[in-house]
Amino acid sequence: MENNHKKGLVKVVGTQKAVVVVVLIVLFGFFCIMSPMFRQYSTILSILDYSYYITFMAIGVTFCLITGGVDLSIGTGMICCGLVGGYMINVMGMPTIVGLLAAIVVGLIFGVINGTLVAVLNIPPFIATLGTMMVARGIGSIATGGLSQTWPVAGSENGWFRNIFKIDIGGLKLPVGFMLIIVTVIVMSIVLNKTNVGRYIIAIGSNKEATRLSGVNVVKYQMSAYIISGFFIGLAGISYAATFQAIAPGTGAGLELDAIGGAIIGGTSMNGGLGSIVGTLLGVFIMSMLKTGLPYIGLQANWQQIITCAVLIGAVFIDVQKNKKLQ
Amino acid sequence: MDTIKNNSFVKKVGFNRLVLCCVLVLLYIAFAILSPTFLSYSRILSALNYAYFLGFLAFGVTFVIATGGIDFSIGPVMFASALISGQLLTKSGFPVIVCLLVSICVGLLFGVLNGFLVAYGGLPSFITSMAIMQLAKGVGSVFTKTQSVSWPQEWYRNLVKMKIGNTQIPTGLIILLLVAVVLWAILSKTKAGRYILCIGSNKEAVRLSGVNVKKWEMLAYIICGTCAGIAAIFYVGAYTTVQPGLGDTFNNEAIAACVMGGTSMSGGLASVGGSFIGVMVIALLQEGILAMGFQKDYQYVITGIIVIIAVFADIRSRRKKN
Amino acid sequence: MSEVILTMEGIDKSFPGVHALDHVNLEIRKGEVHALMGENGAGKSTLMKVLTGIYTKDSGKIIYEGKEVEYGSPKEAQDAGIVIVHQELNMLGHLSVAQNIFIGREPKKGGLIDDSRMNTEAAKLFEQLKIKIDPKEKMNRLTVGKQQMCEIAKAISHDAKIIVFDEPTAALTETEIQELFKIIRDLRKKQMGIVYISHRMDEINVITDRVTVMRDGAYVGTLITKESTKSDIINMMVGRVIYEEPKTESAISEDAPVVLKVEHLNAGKMVRDVSFSLHKGEILGFSGLMGAGRTETARALFGADKKERGEIYINGQKIEINSPSDAVKHGIGYLSEDRKRFGIVTEKTVAENATLASLDNYLSGMFINKKKENEVTEEYVKQLKIKTPGVDQLVVNLSGGNQQKAVIAKWLIKDCDILIFDEPTRGIDVGAKSEIYHLMSTLAAEGKSIIMISSEMPEILRMSDRIMVMCEGKKTGEIGIEEATQEKIMHLATQRN
Repeated sequence: MENNHKKGLVKVVGTQKAVVVVVLIVLFGFFCIMSPMFRQYSTILSILDYSYYITFMAIGVTFCLITGGVDLSIGTGMICCGLVGGYMINVMGMPTIVGLLAAIVVGLIFGVINGTLVAVLNIPPFIATLGTMMVARGIGSIATGGLSQTWPVAGSENGWFRNIFKIDIGGLKLPVGFMLIIVTVIVMSIVLNKTNVGRYIIAIGSNKEATRLSGVNVVKYQMSAYIISGFFIGLAGISYAATFQAIAPGTGAGLELDAIGGAIIGGTSMNGGLGSIVGTLLGVFIMSMLKTGLPYIGLQANWQQIITCAVLIGAVFIDVQKNKKLQ
Repeated sequence: MDTIKNNSFVKKVGFNRLVLCCVLVLLYIAFAILSPTFLSYSRILSALNYAYFLGFLAFGVTFVIATGGIDFSIGPVMFASALISGQLLTKSGFPVIVCLLVSICVGLLFGVLNGFLVAYGGLPSFITSMAIMQLAKGVGSVFTKTQSVSWPQEWYRNLVKMKIGNTQIPTGLIILLLVAVVLWAILSKTKAGRYILCIGSNKEAVRLSGVNVKKWEMLAYIICGTCAGIAAIFYVGAYTTVQPGLGDTFNNEAIAACVMGGTSMSGGLASVGGSFIGVMVIALLQEGILAMGFQKDYQYVITGIIVIIAVFADIRSRRKKN
Repeated sequence: MSEVILTMEGIDKSFPGVHALDHVNLEIRKGEVHALMGENGAGKSTLMKVLTGIYTKDSGKIIYEGKEVEYGSPKEAQDAGIVIVHQELNMLGHLSVAQNIFIGREPKKGGLIDDSRMNTEAAKLFEQLKIKIDPKEKMNRLTVGKQQMCEIAKAISHDAKIIVFDEPTAALTETEIQELFKIIRDLRKKQMGIVYISHRMDEINVITDRVTVMRDGAYVGTLITKESTKSDIINMMVGRVIYEEPKTESAISEDAPVVLKVEHLNAGKMVRDVSFSLHKGEILGFSGLMGAGRTETARALFGADKKERGEIYINGQKIEINSPSDAVKHGIGYLSEDRKRFGIVTEKTVAENATLASLDNYLSGMFINKKKENEVTEEYVKQLKIKTPGVDQLVVNLSGGNQQKAVIAKWLIKDCDILIFDEPTRGIDVGAKSEIYHLMSTLAAEGKSIIMISSEMPEILRMSDRIMVMCEGKKTGEIGIEEATQEKIMHLATQRN
């Protein structure tokens, strides 16, 4: 009886990542077979390009999900960071580095606000971050005069930051950003598994009361999860600016779903206590691959929304079943 | 403060709702002072145009929030309904009345799907409805092959406003009020409404009383979807063109209107009347911001702050009661 | 005789309406396993919660290692060396065993958490205790028994000097119980003071040195285990003077028809092959200790929980009950023991709660006939003497007793023939209690059949025509009221086969 129980759990919890990798490979193979154009290097580049900002958002929101909460403001928040940073560079004439820092600071501010609403005022995370999502949608634009911001282009004096993501060496474009992502994933994995912050975030998601009774400052650490998320929307804003041309105010809503969906597919549970950064990365890749691959097999980009929906519901359903088994 | 709260008239109408009415009046006065053109009748009509579709959205989501859930798909479902029925009207030549019915049906179907996943599938409502939101965006867009749809000038526009002699009568308002009364009656005077509210308050106690909670929970989502389908008619009646892929902002505003109006996010407490006034406040706000020449961004920010404050106040008052 | 490590003197604690602890004494020696026994509600858990700082005492002294102490939180008590081993409370299921043990005080290496050192330390602890557990295993993948041993290991790692075990063997297999006893004997050798709260007589006999018995919040006495018998202990547990008149004979005749027959009901560990019958006009008392499975049996019968097996016959006809709606349709009503969570709908009025099970009868067309609803509610408010300013009063504003009556009204308005009352007078004042007793007798006299689950012995003896006793999911016996005594019931309630 006990052994079967164990087997079932190991199957669902431990090997989810393996399943995700398999799905990823199968998907990739599928698109490659179905469309010769997909097999080109430039395709992989564009898949990666489009995935950087989602990956950063997803890594950040993973921490919130692990506490049993969520951060819905990551989409519009990211755009806000990008707008403020761009504004400082374009309109206020600041050097690029200031713009980069500004983006991160704005993100951190959102993190602190979200953290306070959830951890201190005990407002349910989804409604608290829904509120900040709405505020973020408008406030970035108000603060920066309502215009789209385009960060300095590649090749220009201030455009060096784009090289963090892509380098052009004699016509060959290298997705350096991918290295950056790998490094980030490694670092954040260590933070999650080997630091007090990460450890207590998992503990809070697993059993908040027991964690509190063990003497851990639950408010502080729950808040940290949202601050981490805020930090990453700053990074997401930067990578969005680096890989796209213009950042338009009022956009961003809906992107959070790709990020959250990626995290759930990768094994992070909405109930809390369970999640991995690597899993999130894999989940985001699946979402990105679907997003970019579908046009190559003749499906309009809108189908991607329908398929995202199906995938997300499937992932949530599996998550719910997983939790039922643990009861 | 307590003496005001305990006054019988106040109790009957609802302290929350009275405060909201005062806010509405004060807002109007404020806008009138700040912008002289605000006092015109056409301004009011313009504000009302916004209130109609938003009102239906808010009424529908009131039922879902009453069960303790949430529906983030209403805006895009409204658009999907408008796009699909609009496409049938403009490209396939279906008669207007059929298309109006189709619009309602599309909304209803989305409601069925959403309700089924939440009530019978046991999935959390917020992520499920967000997924359905994506589905609605995608379906609408696929159906019209990513084109936007412009509804023509036809008799259905009279549902929104009618010209009698030289004046425009806001017929939409009359219909909105009628529907509000009907929905209020359903919520507070029928078995369905009773069950829906009780489920939001204590689902298990209702189940243990022998009620089939899954059925009634799903009904709330069906009502919500249907209202979104109706909202579509009023949207196109006022604004003509619908574009695929949009609609999120309306979700937030509808939810904000409900929360402002006294509907509690924890479930069990809901007010159609409150949502109505909340919608008026938002519509007025929207119009005022426009009139003063500010961008829509201010509206987003203000709505977001309203949601946070309203929910926080609700949680505080709930905690006090317990 | 070893030295005393802990003395609790004259501990007094009251909650609104309940005198939970009445000048209770407890003395624990080093190197002793001291049992704490008593019925449900005797105050054992409350006493331990006072000790570990979850509750503050109203008066009395706690003397630990010669000094008077008072702890404000379980963590404070833990740091001082007093630990309770709960089963579920302090578990972080998603983390590993070692991570659980060292939560809040993780060893660091180079700024990062040193998991391998934690694993080594944990392994050492398990070696000390002679248990085989992998420190790297996730907590929620262990059996309950192993989880408990992790809690013990955690306690020892906190240099515990006193360990309180609260019903430690309830979820363990026989093998695990023996392992646990080995560990406890080991801890005793190490001069730890161990408090062992349990109902299981045979275990008390085997592992404990002394037994302290509590009853109705008061200290009754302390015995030396080896010098006492099971009957001695049971007498102390139940030896109260019962002020109410116990029923002397069954209110129904020998040949009263069977209205409900349950056969081979199986639902998980708590309901194991339970069969019984209920006669028309009878009050069948379900007696037993906490964890006996009475509520689970009722819920399985009512369709509230899934069952694996079980045949249910009403008036001789076999019926299918897979959900509460099925049960209600067949005229069964269930008054659950947790009123706030499962009984009342808090934001609604008395009238709205009262008609919740029978709303179809109060409709005019599509609408609820508020007049009819109010009328029937007022009728029952009068009949049940529910104290409320009106039927439109929010039910949450009523006192506990009146809330309970409102829920009873709900089932009466539905006109159920079979009523299951689960702890009907819990948390209710004396006046309301006797009103509910009177009500139940009237209902039975009118021909309704009642199953009454109760942990209060006097109540069982006063109201039941027949008593069915359960222990750990099994039905251990049935006694007619004529032959019933507290001792007999308690013997059956502690009979583990």
